Amino acid sequence: MADPNVMLDNTAQGGPAVEYVDLFKTFDYPVLAGVNLTVARGEILAVVGHSGTGKSVLLKTTIGLITPDDGDVRIDGQSVFDSTPRVLRELRRKVGYVFQNAALFDSMTVYENVSQGLSDRELREMGREKVTDKVVESLDLVNMDARAVMGKLPSELSGGMRKRVGIARAIIGRPEILLYDEPVTGLDPVNATVVHRLIAKLRQELGITSIIVTHDIEGTLPIADRVAMLDRGRIRFVGTPDEFRASADVLVRAFLERDVPIELEQV
Amino acid sequence: MASTQSVVDEGGGEPGPVGRWLARVGRGSETFSRHAYGVALIAWRTVVYLFTGRIALRDVVTQVYWMGAQSMGIVLVTATLSGIVTSQQGGYQFSGSVPLYVLGSVVSQSVILELGPVLTAVVLIGRVGARITAELGTMQVSEQIDALYSLGRDPVRTLVSPRIIAGLISVPLLVAFADCIGMLSGMVAAQATLGLGNQAFLYGARLFWHNWDFLYSLTKGLVFGGVIPLVAAHMGLSTRGGAEGVGRSTTSAVVAMTLAVLVVDAMFPPLMLQ
Repeated sequence: MADPNVMLDNTAQGGPAVEYVDLFKTFDYPVLAGVNLTVARGEILAVVGHSGTGKSVLLKTTIGLITPDDGDVRIDGQSVFDSTPRVLRELRRKVGYVFQNAALFDSMTVYENVSQGLSDRELREMGREKVTDKVVESLDLVNMDARAVMGKLPSELSGGMRKRVGIARAIIGRPEILLYDEPVTGLDPVNATVVHRLIAKLRQELGITSIIVTHDIEGTLPIADRVAMLDRGRIRFVGTPDEFRASADVLVRAFLERDVPIELEQV
Repeated sequence: MASTQSVVDEGGGEPGPVGRWLARVGRGSETFSRHAYGVALIAWRTVVYLFTGRIALRDVVTQVYWMGAQSMGIVLVTATLSGIVTSQQGGYQFSGSVPLYVLGSVVSQSVILELGPVLTAVVLIGRVGARITAELGTMQVSEQIDALYSLGRDPVRTLVSPRIIAGLISVPLLVAFADCIGMLSGMVAAQATLGLGNQAFLYGARLFWHNWDFLYSLTKGLVFGGVIPLVAAHMGLSTRGGAEGVGRSTTSAVVAMTLAVLVVDAMFPPLMLQ
């Protein structure tokens, strides 16, 4: 198994984008039990694992939505949990978060939802016309017909469209890092492929570092640089997609072959 | 000593009845302290945002319209009925023993000092408070609150503070309308059912009238206007779980808001009427 702290050589310029250092978190049971992981700039990291193994919690600790019991997360070397509220807000503006169910604001139109990704200062200084241009540009990036959807409410959109609006909202502020929580869950294969291509395109065009929490291995492995597998709050495997496919680890094999491992059969 | 131990500790580490009761008291105190801290934190942040001018005026105006103008109908209906009932019950009690014009004083003082502000608050708990909790609770469980944090926005500034400020503006105004309509309906009811003329009713009302009483009523409205959205928002943001969690927190919020309003109401006479 590859060392989780080793970054990809071709993307390691300027230090790591995200570092997880000895993260512990317990709810009713230990969800994170000493996670150490480093994500390089421009890298696409897929985080996989069975349900309840702490993937989403790991993602939420990245920007301080969940505070760990112990350990730290660093973005560009800056601690998330030792930051003042102002610094934390600045750190969060470097990171875009795509939520599992998009988490669009129900009472706002697509235009208003996407423009929320800009800071108050940007909204004030840019004026309505430039904000509209930015919203259109972001919706174009996610392959949506901006003029047709901008006035719609989230309830008028399909699941795939909502996800893409969620991505547009996350990228309008030009974040350096994007966190995806189950970006294709609930989508049909065509829309899932659209979202995966989009993630690759955003890295290619904007150089965005991406961390994808997913169960969809088939769709994610082709675009990922590395795969990390979580099991009971610990990193079970880290390596390239090829190393992941070739791994002899029983849980990795079970995940790849959609089999129930002996460890889980006892549950 | 042995008997005390048997009540507190049944042996083998199992708590006795007193031990269980103490544990319940401890858990209750912990829950109360946690909620009190949460409410105080929201209140403090709202004060900071208010004085640093970081609350969008447009959001406050929207909430004033929704809390104030849209609640006017139900508040006035409640005030009208409370005035009528007070007038009729007073007339029934006074018949034959007390001059009927005193009814003017009873109705006006009851409505202004107590019924106007408290009934308005109770109506708003159901109409405004429950909706705030359900709305913020739904946003919490559907990760919309997390989304705001992820975008570098504080939900207290964008969602909660405008509602609290709108409550502080609109509830005293609603209480003022409720006071006027309650007295007016009491006067009309007294004339229609007891034959007490308007002049006699107003004479009675003026007998024990203090201008301070109206300010007292508006002050109650101001405090209730802060308490209701504050507690409602805190309970909404504390929601955990799915739809069931939203239902649970909305119910808890209605109970908490009602208790808070009644406790605060009970503190007014010793503080302001001595």
